[in-house]
Amino acid sequence: MSELSLTAVGGSAFQVTPTLVDFSLRLVFTGSGDMNATVVVNEYLKLVHEEAIRLGLAQVSCDFKQLTFMNSSCFKSFVVWIDTVKNSEVRYQIAFLTNPNLPWQRRSLEALRRLAANLVTIETIA
Amino acid sequence: MTDPDDNRPLVSLTLSFRPLANQIGPLRSLLSDLCKPHLVDADVLSRLLLAAHELLENIVKYSVGEAAEFHLLVEAKPNGLLVRVRTKNRAAPERMADARWRLDALARAGDPIAHYDELIRESAGRRDISGLGLARIPAESEMELRYATDQDWLIVTAEGSTSKQVNE
Repeated sequence: MSELSLTAVGGSAFQVTPTLVDFSLRLVFTGSGDMNATVVVNEYLKLVHEEAIRLGLAQVSCDFKQLTFMNSSCFKSFVVWIDTVKNSEVRYQIAFLTNPNLPWQRRSLEALRRLAANLVTIETIA
Repeated sequence: MTDPDDNRPLVSLTLSFRPLANQIGPLRSLLSDLCKPHLVDADVLSRLLLAAHELLENIVKYSVGEAAEFHLLVEAKPNGLLVRVRTKNRAAPERMADARWRLDALARAGDPIAHYDELIRESAGRRDISGLGLARIPAESEMELRYATDQDWLIVTAEGSTSKQVNE
């Protein structure tokens, strides 16, 4: 299997860190996904999709355990990403790992699951 | 301990300021600190902060001129709490028309979650602006959204109530 070409992006206020394990890519989001993070998230998710296709990944997991907030513009980037996967010839699963102490996550992500119930799963992590 | 007969709000905050993007995070933290002692349920606080955040970002993105206003009210009622967030900003004519169109559509929608889902599906193929921030408030915060205009001023109010009792 090829090596991961994605690298971590962002800074102290917001960061995404990728890790590849077998055929699954895990993206760890930390900080606040606000106006300053919008462009980063938008561009990064495009690269994630390209990388997932290139590596033939089965799943991409988004670990939100340390993501304190996500605004509607960042959320929209996830909508576009999921729609891209949904309409792609080669698909992979998208899993969101949520923090039970951050109640906004479950509500926000349920909307993404409704957008593509066959692609998106939501799990709570301790 | 909170006396429900006491008419003073639990929290009342009014800001008049020139909104900037880097102010939103600290403002959100301030709102959280102010409201947390009165909101037992973390979910209620989370919903309030989501509404406040989206409205604050809107005035940062779309205000014209130097001045904007932000109001927060948390008030004890006999059956629970009233929570209200209000923003007031001057808006360019095209932005005013767009906001009115979105807010009128929200008001017409019977089910805020179904309306939000529809907007998400419509926005999926577009790479331009989000257009989801206002609809997200009633769908996820379960707060009612209404607006008023005064010449080129746009006033947006998110209001909700909860049966959760205040901390004692």
